[in-house]
Amino acid sequence: MELNIQNVSMTYPNGKQALKGLDLDLKSPSLIGLLGPNGAGKSTLMKLLVAALTPTAGTILVDGQPLEKAERQLKARLGYLPQDFGLFDELTVTQFLDYMAALKGLKQPKVAIRAVIQAVNLEEKARVPIRTLSGGQRQRVGIAQALLGDPPFLIFDEPTVGLDPEERIHFRNLFSRAAQERLVLLSTHIIEDVQSVCGQLVVMDHGQVLFTGTPEALIQSAASHVGVFWEREAGQEAGLHITARVNTSHGVRCRAVADTLPAYVQPSEPSLEDAYLYLIHLHSKEAAL
Amino acid sequence: MKTLRLFPLELGRLLRSRLTWLAVLLTVLSPAAGLTLYKPATASTMLSMYLANPAIAGGAAGGILFALLTVFDLDRARRSRADVLTDAAVSPLTMAWVRLLALIAAAALTAGLAMLAWLPVSRWLMGAVFDGVDYALAYLLFLGLALPLAILAAGAAYQFTRRTDLSLVLFAAFAGLSLTVWADDWQLCWLNPCVWALSDDFSNFRVFRSVAWMRLTWLAALAGAWGVSYLCIRQYGKGLLGSLARSVRRVWRPVIALALLACSGTAYAAQPFYDNSNPDLTAMELYELDYAEGVTLLDRTVQVFPDTDAGTVEGQAVYRFHNTSGKAWTACFGVDPGYDLTASVDGETVSAVRTGYEESNMALWEIALPADGEVELTLEYGGFPKDWNLSSTVQGDPEISEIYLCLENQRLFPYLLNVLPGEEGYPTTVEVTLPGAMLAIPFGTSDAAVVAEHEDGARTWRYASNSPGGILYAGDYVRQDIQAGGITLEFYYGRKHQAVMEAAGAADAVRAVVDYCTAHYGQLSFGAGDTLKLIQSRVAGGGYAVDGASLLDEADFTTVNLDDTGKGGGAGEVMIHELVHQWWGLGNMFDTADAASPWSAEGLTVYTTYRIVKELYGADYAQKHYVDQWRQAVDGYYLSFYVRHPDYLERLPEDKQLEITNALTYVRQYCEMPLKILKAEQLVGSESAMDQILRGLFNRELDPAYPYLTYQDFLDACGLTEEALDLG
Repeated sequence: MELNIQNVSMTYPNGKQALKGLDLDLKSPSLIGLLGPNGAGKSTLMKLLVAALTPTAGTILVDGQPLEKAERQLKARLGYLPQDFGLFDELTVTQFLDYMAALKGLKQPKVAIRAVIQAVNLEEKARVPIRTLSGGQRQRVGIAQALLGDPPFLIFDEPTVGLDPEERIHFRNLFSRAAQERLVLLSTHIIEDVQSVCGQLVVMDHGQVLFTGTPEALIQSAASHVGVFWEREAGQEAGLHITARVNTSHGVRCRAVADTLPAYVQPSEPSLEDAYLYLIHLHSKEAAL
Repeated sequence: MKTLRLFPLELGRLLRSRLTWLAVLLTVLSPAAGLTLYKPATASTMLSMYLANPAIAGGAAGGILFALLTVFDLDRARRSRADVLTDAAVSPLTMAWVRLLALIAAAALTAGLAMLAWLPVSRWLMGAVFDGVDYALAYLLFLGLALPLAILAAGAAYQFTRRTDLSLVLFAAFAGLSLTVWADDWQLCWLNPCVWALSDDFSNFRVFRSVAWMRLTWLAALAGAWGVSYLCIRQYGKGLLGSLARSVRRVWRPVIALALLACSGTAYAAQPFYDNSNPDLTAMELYELDYAEGVTLLDRTVQVFPDTDAGTVEGQAVYRFHNTSGKAWTACFGVDPGYDLTASVDGETVSAVRTGYEESNMALWEIALPADGEVELTLEYGGFPKDWNLSSTVQGDPEISEIYLCLENQRLFPYLLNVLPGEEGYPTTVEVTLPGAMLAIPFGTSDAAVVAEHEDGARTWRYASNSPGGILYAGDYVRQDIQAGGITLEFYYGRKHQAVMEAAGAADAVRAVVDYCTAHYGQLSFGAGDTLKLIQSRVAGGGYAVDGASLLDEADFTTVNLDDTGKGGGAGEVMIHELVHQWWGLGNMFDTADAASPWSAEGLTVYTTYRIVKELYGADYAQKHYVDQWRQAVDGYYLSFYVRHPDYLERLPEDKQLEITNALTYVRQYCEMPLKILKAEQLVGSESAMDQILRGLFNRELDPAYPYLTYQDFLDACGLTEEALDLG
C-alpha cells in the first residue's frame, strides 16, 4: 500500500491553518512514527488520511488513486484509532467488536475478534459491558477495533495514552510486529514509543514536515549540538535550549541543545529525544526570524 | 448492498438498548390512552370507541416516543464519540440509511406487538362486531404508519440541526401542529388522523383509504425532507452547507429528495376524496339556473355498476328530452366532482364541458344539445366519488364496498339541473348491478327487484322512480317485515349486527313502538301508504327520512348504547327508545339542544319509552326502572355543588368542566325533563290528556322557517308555565 501526500494544505473554517503544503510519501511495509508538539498538525494529517476531512488544497493519492475516489477502498483497508474516541457503553467488548467487524465487512468475525481480544489482553473482559471498563481497558478496546481484520493500513493517534508502562511495551511490540507486513502510522508525544520500533520518523511542527527519515538520521543530525553542563557554570548565552535538569549531589546537571555549544558545555551523544528537541528548537528559532 | 448487510447489525444494536425497549413497551401500552384520555373519534360505535381511539392514541403516543428514540439514537454515536470509529469504517451517509432502516424496523416490530397485544382486548371489548380486516387496517394505518413518519421527521430535524435540543423542539412544534390547529384538517393531521367514526356493521374502506392517502402524502413529504437532510449530514469536517455542496455532487440524491417532495405536493393538491365546492353554504347557483325554455324530460334510464373493490362507480344514463322551442339549448348537470363524463346524442359524441364550478358536492357540466324536437342524450360517467368538502371532518359518507354502499343523487347518476319535469315527473328506471350478497334498497317508496343474475354471482336490480334525484342504499342487509300500526315495516339492518338486534328483541321493539306511537300520536309523516322502510345506515351522525323510508343510524344500536340504563331498563328498552326517536327527533324535529336547557328530543323520547314500557311490563316495573331512577338522579343533580355554585365550575380546567357539564346535561335531558313531563301529565289531569296534547303537537302545522318543536310550544299546549313544572 502506498500513500502520496502532495502539497496538501488544510485550513479550518475558523481560519486556523493546520497544514501548509505538506508533501509526504508513505509506503508499506513500515512503521512510521509521527512526532510533533501540540498543534503541529499530526491529528489533522491523520484525519485527512482517513477521509474524515478533505484538504483545502493538494492531493492525497492512495495507490495512485485520488482519495476522493478511493475512499471506500481505503476505509475497507484501514484500522484507525483516533486520539479522542468513544465506545457504545451498553455493549459488551465482544458485541462492540462484532459490531465494528460487521461495519468493516469481515467475513469471519468470530476468529478475528478472538485474535484481537487476545492481542490486547482483554480475554477476561470480553463479555463485560464497556461501561464497566477502566480508561486503559477502553483504550485497549480501541486498539483492538483498529486491529480487527488485519487491515493493511493502520493509523494510531496517541495509542498508549492511559496505558501502564508494561502495557506500553506490549503494544509497542505489537505495532512493530504488525508493521512487518503493513503500513503503520503511529503518532505520539512519547519519544520512547517510537525510538525502539519505528523504522521511519516524520517530525512536524506548525503544519510542516521538518524531517523525514530514519531515527538514526535524526539522531545524526543533532550530533555536536547536544551537551551537558553544571548549572552553576552556565553563562547567559542565547540559543542554548535546556532539555533536561537533573539534581545530583554535586549540583544541577543540565542537558541542552544549541546550534553552537558554548565552551562550558561538554558535548554529549545525542538521544532521539535530544535530536527531536533540537529540530523543533531550531525550527522555532528560524520561524521567529 | 452494504446498507442491507449492515441493517441487521444496526437493528441488533438498537434492540440491545434499554431505551429502545422502553419506547417499544410504552408504545404497545399507549392504545390504553384511547380508552381513557384521548378520544378523537367522537361517534359512539364500538369500533370508534374501542378500535379507532386506541389505535389513533397509540399512533400519536408511539410517534412521539419513536421520535424521541430517533433523536437520542442518532445522537448516541456522536455523544459517545463512537462516530469517529464508525465513520472511519463506513461513510456517515451509509450509516444514516442503516440507522433509519433499523429504527423503522423497530417501529414495525412495535406496531406488530401492539396489534398482537391489543387483539384479545379489542375482541373482548367489541364483541360480535369485531372484524379482523378493520382491526388490521386500523392498527396499520392509525398506529403503524405514525411511527415511520415520526422517525423521518425527527431524523430529518436531527440531520439538519445536529442538535438534540433543537431537534426535539422542532419535532414538538411539528407534532403540536398536528394535534392542535391541524387536527381537523384531514390532510394535515399527520400524527393523529382525522377520524370521527368507524362503522361496526358495515365497511370502513373510505375512511381507511383517506387515511392511507394522508399517510402516503406525508410519507413522501417527510421522506423528501429526510432526503434533503441526508444531503446535509456533516462529513469531511464541513458544516451544513459544505456537506450539502459535497453531497449534491451525486445528482441522483437531490433528485430523489425533490421528486419525493413533488410527489407529496401533487398528492396533497390532487387528493381524490373531497371536492372544491363553493364554501359559501348559502350559495344556490346550481338550483337557480334558468330552466331550458320549452324543454321537458320525457324519461331517463340509468345503468349503474359500482366497483365494490375499487370503491368506484361506472354508469350510463340515457335522457330523452322533448324540445318545443325549436332552438338549440344547453343541458346542465350536477355530477359528482370525482366523476368524469362523456356525452353522445343519437350515437354521435357531443362536447361535455366541465365548467369548473362546484357547489353542494356537485360539479357543473354543460352539454350543448341540438334544436331537435326529441333528443336522446347518453351520458357515460364514472370515477371515484368525492365527498363534500364541508364534511371533511366526518369522513366515510360515499362508502362503496361489497357489504355497503350509499349512492346519493349526483353520485347515482348525473343530476339534471335545468329541465322541467314532464307530466309524469322525472320518470326514471334505474338498474344497478351489485355483488350477490347485497340487497338494493331505494330510499323512498320504490322497491327494487332482481332482474338478472350473472355468472359471477352478481345480480342486477331494477327499480323505478320519478323524483329528480335518488338515493340508493345497498348492503349485506337482513330484512325483517313487521306488521305494526296498520302498516308493514320493512326493517333492514346489517347482517353483522343480527345477533345484537335479535338479542335486543329488535322486531318486538319496532312493533311495540310503532303500535304505541301510531295509536297515541299518529302515523309518521314519511310513512307512505302502507309500508315504511326502516334502514339501518352506516354511522352518519343522525338519521333522516323521506316518503316511505327512514334511516336509523347504526350508532344508536351498538351494544354499549343498548346497555345504557339511562335510556331504558335493558337492551330491548333502549331499542324502543331509539325507535321512539322516529317520532320525537325525526318526525318532529328539535333545534340543537341548548346545553343549559333540559328541553331536547330526549325528554319526550324517554317519557314515551317509559309509557311504552309501562304498557308492556306494568306500572311497578316502569316506576322502579324509570321514574324512581329519574328522581334519584335529579335529587343528586339539585344537590350537586356545581349546580348550586356554577361560578366554581368555570374555575375548573376545561376538560374537567366539560366532563361535569356533560354529566349535568345528561341528567337535565334524560331525567329532569321526563320528570317535568310527568309532572305536566299530572297537572293536565291524566295520561290520556297528555297523549292528546302530544298528539296535537306531533300533528301540528309546521312553520317551514322554524319547523322545530320548542319547550314553549309544549308548555303552551299544556297550558302551563315553566315555573309550574319546577321540581324543586
